[in-house]
Amino acid sequence: MPAGRPPKTVLTLKVNGDSVELAVEPRTTLLEALRYTLRLTGSKQGCDKGDCGACTVLIDGTPTLACLTLAVECQGRAVTTIEGLARGPHVHPVQDAFDLCGALQCGFCQPGMMLSAAALLEANARPTRLQIREALSGNLCRCTGYKQIFDAVEVASGQREVAERDPRPTTGGES
Amino acid sequence: MLTLPPFTYHAPATVSEAVALLAEHRGDVKLLAGGTDLLPNMKHRLFTPAHLVGLRSVRGLAEIAEKDGAVRLGPMVSIARLARDPLVEQRLPSLQAAAQAIAGPQLRQMGTLGGNLCLDTRCVFYNQTAFWRLALGYCLKKDGTVCHVVKAGKRCVAAASNDTAPALLTLGARIRVAGPLGTRDVALADFYFADGVRNLGLQEDEVLTGIEVPSPEAGQRSGFQKLRVREAVDYPSLSVAVSSALDAGGNARWVRVAVSALGARPHLVGSLESLTGSKLTSAAVAEIGRIAHRQCHPLTNINIDPAWRRDLIPVLVKRAFETCRLARAS
Amino acid sequence: MKGHAVVGRRLRKLDGLKKATGEAKYADDLELPRMLHCKLLRSPHAHARIRRIDFTRCRAHPGVVEVLEGAELPARYGVIPWTPDEQALAADKARFVGDEVAAVAALDELAAEEALALIDVEWEVLPALVEPEQALAAGSPQIHEGKKHGNVSKHVGLSFGDVDAGFAASASVAEEDFFYAGSTHAAIEPHCALAQYDAEGNLTLWSSTQIPHYVHRELSRVLGLPETRVRVIQPFLGGAFGGKSDPFALEFVVAKLAMKTGRPVKCLLTREEVFFAHRGRHPMKMRFKVGLAKDGRIEAVDSKILIDGGAYSSFGLVTAYYSGQLLTGPYTFGSYRFDSTRVFTNKPPCGPKRGHGSVQPRFAFEVALDMAAEKLGLDPIEVRRRNFVGENVLTVNGQTITSNGFLQCLDAVEAASRWKERKGKLPYGRGLGVAGSMYISGTAYPLYPNELPQSGIQVKLDRSGKVTIFSGGSDIGQGLNSLPAYLIAEEIGCDPRDCHVVVSDTDLTPVDLGAYSSRGTYMIGAACLEAGQRLWAMLSEAVGAKWGCPGAAVEGALGTIRGPADGQQMSFREAVQLAEAKFGTLGATGSYRTQKLGGDYRGGTIGASPAYSFTAHVVEVRVDVETGVWKVERVWAAHDCGKALNPTLVEGQIEGSVYMGFGEAAMEEMTYLPSGLHAGPSLLDYRIPTSLDTPDIEATIVEPIDPGGPHGAKEAGEGPLHPVIPAIANALYDAVGVRLTALPFHPAKVLAALRAKAKHDGLAESAERGAC
Repeated sequence: MPAGRPPKTVLTLKVNGDSVELAVEPRTTLLEALRYTLRLTGSKQGCDKGDCGACTVLIDGTPTLACLTLAVECQGRAVTTIEGLARGPHVHPVQDAFDLCGALQCGFCQPGMMLSAAALLEANARPTRLQIREALSGNLCRCTGYKQIFDAVEVASGQREVAERDPRPTTGGES
Repeated sequence: MLTLPPFTYHAPATVSEAVALLAEHRGDVKLLAGGTDLLPNMKHRLFTPAHLVGLRSVRGLAEIAEKDGAVRLGPMVSIARLARDPLVEQRLPSLQAAAQAIAGPQLRQMGTLGGNLCLDTRCVFYNQTAFWRLALGYCLKKDGTVCHVVKAGKRCVAAASNDTAPALLTLGARIRVAGPLGTRDVALADFYFADGVRNLGLQEDEVLTGIEVPSPEAGQRSGFQKLRVREAVDYPSLSVAVSSALDAGGNARWVRVAVSALGARPHLVGSLESLTGSKLTSAAVAEIGRIAHRQCHPLTNINIDPAWRRDLIPVLVKRAFETCRLARAS
Repeated sequence: MKGHAVVGRRLRKLDGLKKATGEAKYADDLELPRMLHCKLLRSPHAHARIRRIDFTRCRAHPGVVEVLEGAELPARYGVIPWTPDEQALAADKARFVGDEVAAVAALDELAAEEALALIDVEWEVLPALVEPEQALAAGSPQIHEGKKHGNVSKHVGLSFGDVDAGFAASASVAEEDFFYAGSTHAAIEPHCALAQYDAEGNLTLWSSTQIPHYVHRELSRVLGLPETRVRVIQPFLGGAFGGKSDPFALEFVVAKLAMKTGRPVKCLLTREEVFFAHRGRHPMKMRFKVGLAKDGRIEAVDSKILIDGGAYSSFGLVTAYYSGQLLTGPYTFGSYRFDSTRVFTNKPPCGPKRGHGSVQPRFAFEVALDMAAEKLGLDPIEVRRRNFVGENVLTVNGQTITSNGFLQCLDAVEAASRWKERKGKLPYGRGLGVAGSMYISGTAYPLYPNELPQSGIQVKLDRSGKVTIFSGGSDIGQGLNSLPAYLIAEEIGCDPRDCHVVVSDTDLTPVDLGAYSSRGTYMIGAACLEAGQRLWAMLSEAVGAKWGCPGAAVEGALGTIRGPADGQQMSFREAVQLAEAKFGTLGATGSYRTQKLGGDYRGGTIGASPAYSFTAHVVEVRVDVETGVWKVERVWAAHDCGKALNPTLVEGQIEGSVYMGFGEAAMEEMTYLPSGLHAGPSLLDYRIPTSLDTPDIEATIVEPIDPGGPHGAKEAGEGPLHPVIPAIANALYDAVGVRLTALPFHPAKVLAALRAKAKHDGLAESAERGAC
């Protein structure tokens, strides 16, 4: 950072379960801090200003736009990014279902989309199609037309079966 | 990506600390609530304050409660909470409908009621990047002298685009404001002005600390309709809120209608007194629609055909009455 | 023929879980030590000469490391080698609001942004030609000085058969003006490029491009570096749809700045800048005339099209041809004439958006066809069926159609929508509409003339059983990172999950021309089959030698190799080791070479494709007649993609296409102020449908086996976009009786049309009453 700007502040936050300390300028958004300071580049930037939802992360479990959140306002809060949605070696059911259903075309909007979907399922284990549409309406996708995304959320919530359940390579046949 | 300009951030713990910070940095400071309006505007360099005062740590600004004949709403109550709160559902159905129609899920979680009421007015010639506005040659609201909406216009007509305002106007809300000299109460109807540059009756060193809505009378009902291109995300192209109280015989004790997303001030439709004491038949509602239509003149401040928006005022008024919900006992 | 072990199955993509977990790195996810951030200074004027650029104040900013101006990169370029009219940074004049004129490399983005404001440019403002008619008017200044035909970018006029006689013989003629509004790709990932120049003089560019090969060539030419010193890598790409298939200014600029500073330089466009980069759907003003014989046969089609090209050529030469050449199926045209003129205007350049050049005339034609058929009392599906062009035929303009499943597509959507029971019987405000279309599976010829393969594949077999495939194909979400694994695994009997596909890196992977014209499946697929068959010949021979049987008797699938005798089997790994022992280190290549195709006339090769896909859609709409607001209740989309190599991915392409076409019909439009300034360059003002707006889509795959495609496969990525727009227009007509001819069908237009019709009907009614 060139000289002459307001000094950085040090903050502590819980990112994907890890307590991390980092120094940010007050003007640094949570998205910039995640992507460029912590190198958690799974959270994406698509529109600069809250119009697309690609930067969605969970703050204390709630889907939030990281591009319109100041990092300094996250002091002491728990942030979950797509890198932290899976716990241990197993992907989250939403991630697995998105892969199975073809919902990951270019994949760029999907980290935010999957976090919105995971938060929905946390609050509502068996959402209706309309509830899925509503919960994802702040996450724009340009590839899929959304159908395979809706299907994937239904698969993740056990309300739909896929036509062919191709096993994940990492589980040696189990999925 | 679009950057935020540099600033110093303050996190007061009380309203009086916030007011003191605002007074100290007067002329170069902004209040930050949910950030969903201010931060995009700062990325667009519409504001470049040296200081931001964050309200997140101030206690006591997020209550929802009914006492002493009024529903009290804290300004830091999130739009998402308004959209699902059972008390709001029972007592202020039109406000809940308005909250549900705001933006998308994440923005409703982040955005606050206070922030929505204080939303900066919006215009296609204003909500743009610094480069874009340079290429335009700037406008009356920011850095320029010309209005691109009303040629030769002397007063900014940027649109009030907050969905909660018309609902709360028809519910007779009052707001409480804290400043260096103490607190003051003001009717929401007197809070807005028809000047797009500054449409709020709020001084730079004042903080909105509470919204108070009179507890609904027996037979009170309210409804809300929003016109937008997409079913999520979009600001209103037009919004209509209605409220009325019917006596035991089904006659209106009063009727209020507000239309917004037109100009700088949400418009509380006048000349509805003639409906007092009469039944709100479809003919009466059509007459209200005609009155509203006469009083409202959408402009090209929003990039949706103004003639069409105007044509739809009576339709939205009708539908708002049709979808009215009765306020239930708490 | 043995059954398929891999092809046709709903397998995961090879990179799906990388995307699901956030591991996949896109261009802006890359960062190098000492990296600088670049921002581009853009013209605030639509048309202006640059008199002088002064960097004095800019260089004084504490964060600035280097600056760049147009004179330092003088070479002109363009994706089409015949029309090189772009410069990385304009040296003489700017041609649209947003045209790049200078660049800054600084310590961070904010510093670069602040420094841009300190560059002083002296402008001589010229008249802005915003509409094509203005640009064509006599006495208008030339946007590109020295061009032969004023502001005409390209004119194409072609005629096939006796069109006038065709109309004379027609029992029903429909003639109408149509307008197709400009729209843009709006991929969620903004363009981003990162360059590094090392001490050995090697330049590496990571860029969000869908055409690494063409970028490689142009980068080398513009920078004056040998092609051997330039390496272009396409990281994961966050959507493209044709919007990343030109060489872009930022790619040249970061490369040059990296060379000047010796430091890595990155440039990430803001969303607003993506709207300036554009290359989206051309606005077209179209007059269409369609003549039908009494039995519904298409006697004649005539079109005159004015194409608004924006400030540069881009793919415009091809666009002008495609606006006419791609219309000649799935129906037989008795005769056909088109006259298309692409015009330069002072707006962001248009280019190839999904369904390049042919979505617009398809809309006009399919609506005009309904209008003409209505006069004959013909059912819209029936008239389309009667005109079916057939299989293994030449179209009126000389294109070779191989497989053609259009009739099955029509049958499928007719049945699924219960068309026969419901068409014409729905209540006022609800309606059904149909449309068909055809699209290319790759263009027969590369963008620059050469005899070299258009796609190549290299495969390395490791004795561990791991299969490494090198593919130059550009995955833009459609699945090209997985396709080589599916096809090679099918050929050589390995498990596709044991394949590692190395992609889109000009140093490592063989040339593929890029993700455009729906060429990937067909051409990369063909190269995969060739490479796989060469490997299988070695594997099967080695295994056969071990078992004492002919190689032809050996079979392999999903990692297990089997012989003719009972229980005779081994692992793929063992087979590889046998073959490696026999033949030495194992590897093979495969290519797709250009076939001679197309009509024998100037331009006859443009639009020529080795195979065509076909699509039919039925759309059901519901109109709120008080407001003009309409909703698509459901889209039934049937698409002939030949053999579906992975049905899940094909369905994704169909659904995504339907969605994108729906957006263009319902709400999307590039709008400009009279000054040429884009009226709303953001994802708030340029609205794309949300999850609540997207229609219910029912996709059906129709699979006639194409004789040329890999396992019979054809394209699926662009064709299915075409019919949804005219099908919506036709459904709206069915619902409320108004013909909408100008896109998008904003509710305001619908309500205005309804009122005009009511007024007209009222007048007609009173006239009738008067007559009584």
